[in-house]
Amino acid sequence: MPAYPEYRYIGKNTQRMDAVDIVTGKTTFLDDFRLPKMLCGKALRSPHAHAMIKRIDAGAAKMVKGVHAVLTYKEVPQSWRVGWPLYRPFMDAKLAYVGDIVALVAADTEEIADEAIDLIEVEYEVLQPVFTALESLAPGAPQVYETLPGNAVPPGYPPFQPHGAFWQIKRGDIKEGFEKAAYIAEDTIHFNKMCPPLSPEPPGAIVRWDGGNNYTVWATTQSNYILKVLNSASMLDANLRIMTFNTGGSYGNKQALVGDVVPAALLSRVTNRPVKFFLSKTLQLGTHETRLGATIQAKIGMDKDGRVCVVQGAWLLDSGAYSDSIQGQVGVGLGEMQLVTSKCKYWDFDTNIAITNKIPAGIVRGYGGQELNSCLGLLIARAMKAGNFDPIECYKKNYVQPGDRYQWRDGLWWECKGSHDYPQAMEESARKFGWKDKWKGWGVPTSVNGRKVTGVGAGIIGNADVGEDNTEAYVKIVPDLGRSDGSKVVVQVDITESGMGQRTNVAKMAAEILDVDMSLVQVTDPDTLSNPTGFGLCGSRGTICYGEAVTKATLDVKSKLLEMASRKLNLPAEELDTREGYVYVKADPEKRVNWKGLWEPDLTIMGYGKHIEQFSTPNFCIFIVEVEVDLDTGLTKILKIVSGTDAGQIIDPKTLEMQMQGGIGAACVDTALYEEHIVDLPTGRLMTTNLIDYKWRPFNEFPAFDTVVLQSQIKNASNHFNAVGVGEISGAAGASAVLMAISNAIGEEVAEYPATPDVVLKAIAKKSAAVATAKKGGC
Amino acid sequence: MRDRTTIPLEKLTTSISVNLAEDMQEQGKEFITLKINGQEYEFSVGSRLGQVAPCETLSRTLRDRLNLTGSKESCGQGACGCCTVIMDGDAVTSCMLLTVECAGKEITTIEGLRDPVTGKLSDIQQAFIDYYAFQCGYCTPGIIMTSKALLDKNPNSSKEEIAEALAGNYCRCISQYHVIDAVKHVAEAQRGN
Repeated sequence: MPAYPEYRYIGKNTQRMDAVDIVTGKTTFLDDFRLPKMLCGKALRSPHAHAMIKRIDAGAAKMVKGVHAVLTYKEVPQSWRVGWPLYRPFMDAKLAYVGDIVALVAADTEEIADEAIDLIEVEYEVLQPVFTALESLAPGAPQVYETLPGNAVPPGYPPFQPHGAFWQIKRGDIKEGFEKAAYIAEDTIHFNKMCPPLSPEPPGAIVRWDGGNNYTVWATTQSNYILKVLNSASMLDANLRIMTFNTGGSYGNKQALVGDVVPAALLSRVTNRPVKFFLSKTLQLGTHETRLGATIQAKIGMDKDGRVCVVQGAWLLDSGAYSDSIQGQVGVGLGEMQLVTSKCKYWDFDTNIAITNKIPAGIVRGYGGQELNSCLGLLIARAMKAGNFDPIECYKKNYVQPGDRYQWRDGLWWECKGSHDYPQAMEESARKFGWKDKWKGWGVPTSVNGRKVTGVGAGIIGNADVGEDNTEAYVKIVPDLGRSDGSKVVVQVDITESGMGQRTNVAKMAAEILDVDMSLVQVTDPDTLSNPTGFGLCGSRGTICYGEAVTKATLDVKSKLLEMASRKLNLPAEELDTREGYVYVKADPEKRVNWKGLWEPDLTIMGYGKHIEQFSTPNFCIFIVEVEVDLDTGLTKILKIVSGTDAGQIIDPKTLEMQMQGGIGAACVDTALYEEHIVDLPTGRLMTTNLIDYKWRPFNEFPAFDTVVLQSQIKNASNHFNAVGVGEISGAAGASAVLMAISNAIGEEVAEYPATPDVVLKAIAKKSAAVATAKKGGC
Repeated sequence: MRDRTTIPLEKLTTSISVNLAEDMQEQGKEFITLKINGQEYEFSVGSRLGQVAPCETLSRTLRDRLNLTGSKESCGQGACGCCTVIMDGDAVTSCMLLTVECAGKEITTIEGLRDPVTGKLSDIQQAFIDYYAFQCGYCTPGIIMTSKALLDKNPNSSKEEIAEALAGNYCRCISQYHVIDAVKHVAEAQRGN
């Protein structure tokens, strides 16, 4: 075991800076905030999945007292477009999903806006809709947008792929690859129920038009900068300043918020007043972005030692009515696929993206990789079963190791410089789970107790996006006016707190390096105007990206302090260090000078640090699960989960533990059991738009949960503390692991998401029929 | 398609609330009084500007009129528990109650748990900090209020009873394990005392 460095804050539990505000209800979220003269914005939404507006009359609505604006597509610039590439106007005569915006209203109150909406008269021409990606791309399918012939979304996402589109992997002679394969698995697998991660706080934005192309936006986004980038494109070169409060959960899903920001901006522009556009839970479930739909038609081969050696096939993505970055998710998904099959040399794997008349698919925790893994994981399991391999042993051979190379989302080749210890993390997780005792072989239950059977399964996943996007930070030392000899440390970064505790973690990093009490460190409020660039915390990038920028900025300011003190004390800077606002002589700590006084009174000294995007430090998570299946009802219960990783260095144990536990939520593990958006096919309406009909795991149904976190000190993490972020992927391999566990418990493969009782009973019946046939044949 | 695909809450509740308002009128009452966090508030009931309309929910009154924004309105359908407050000792979802129904009731919100003089946090609030029992914190006020109502009634609550009591509180970050530990700790400390 490596010796862990001893730190003052790093690796120790630290109270989150906003803890008292959170438990007293003082924390501000968007819906708690009001601006003077703010109006309420609402939308009339399409009742049809695919339709043309033949006639629209908003005359009566405009006459309602308290209504300040009604906008139809006729009054909205058609140059404000969404999707990537910008293939449809934000509002148009053409409606592409139930919930698509028909008209916008700004009014004094919500009730007045609702009354006005009821008075808008619309005549629709209902068109034939298309609801699945396969049907959408088939010849003769209804055409959703003229700009996308055949409903096919073109590949490539320039923000991620400036060197050219990356949407397929073609390597080696496939025929040769299959000749080397000892075990083959081939099938079509769907993970296409397009589940919502469903944050407690609905999406929303307040926009104030400031004249010209300038807008100030307060939003529920977890990433100000991503919102700025994507809305600036949709709103035709708008100059946006984005600010956030605390965000009430996002799970990657509240980022661009184009569906909220653009309506509020349009209404603010015509009313010259701030407009709040905040969705209800019904609208969040019924219109806000979901997970993308994934289907793979693939054939994979595994060699005699259990290494995936060849992959052939295609990944079909359902983007719903539009998506502003699905090609980016293709890139990440393909990247993650290579991490779990890192020894594979033969590839012929393609992707296709289809438009359907469903609600838009957007950014969600897992970002393409999870959806693809949920499909691919089942095929890998089938190949492992064919070779009778123990999955844990097999995963150890297949997961990326330092020196392995892969093409990441940018299409470029990267060499893994991550942890050497991921196989050890797998082993220790398996040990903690009791895998050796519980694993009885493929299709064999762990235990049988009357009509209740148990089974175990495991999945792995990893993501190199933890080093994504350039990030910068300033760390400033400013006078503390409350203390005559005091100073404060200000970490100037653009980080929204959406639950991960990273605002506190960057403060810990600065406090650690400067060796000061945490109470002296402040982090600036999230705001794109007053902070340097940062893409927020998506992709678990906080630890590496913000970590590197903040630690470099802190080291920079520290070296300035030591240099100034060196001149004052007439000693070399190397002989000095700093603690609690003083620079002291290492050999004689009593000899010290206060920071204040090292430079001109009332002024600031500042350090700068940046992180430059790199994809060479993939993280990792193994998810091991035990389920119990009732053979009579088909109901599956998760009994136990062990989630394991190597974090390099733990920054905050409890918050990391909760990130690991968070893999149960946000449409991760339970997409294997009961989470699904159900579309009423004749109409295209979602039937799961409230928290009763959409199923989620309540407090009294949580299984035993344990974690394994190694700390191998990953040098390439480059954030001074050798730590990588883990949170995003903690539950990403959970869904395929659960299906593996169910299949083992009942002795028949289940490959359908979610494995609701009817799906499980069907599989049990199939097995019983096979047994009966075998017996009959035997007679 | 409007904001609500189910029956609009206001339409569902209007008939009940209009009846209540009519009853009040018959009884010659124009005002209702609610005791919130120890302080009495008198509201004028009616449909004119500034009055509490018969269809106004307790959640809206607390958040929009009194600026008690600690409890959140998340689902508006009583399913997520984010708007939970304590009314006469019971944990209730304030989005499902009409303010006119709450006349004469004693209500505690998350803002009322801390000692108003010393600022000291209640045991349960302190335990949520000590046990790291939140992530995004949006659902936390509701979870704390449900837990408080439970422990006030049954200080001997077991882990299972705590989980059962919280089954109507939605938390998607998955802080459930830490929440149950925090509430269990308070229950045990109360038993110890």
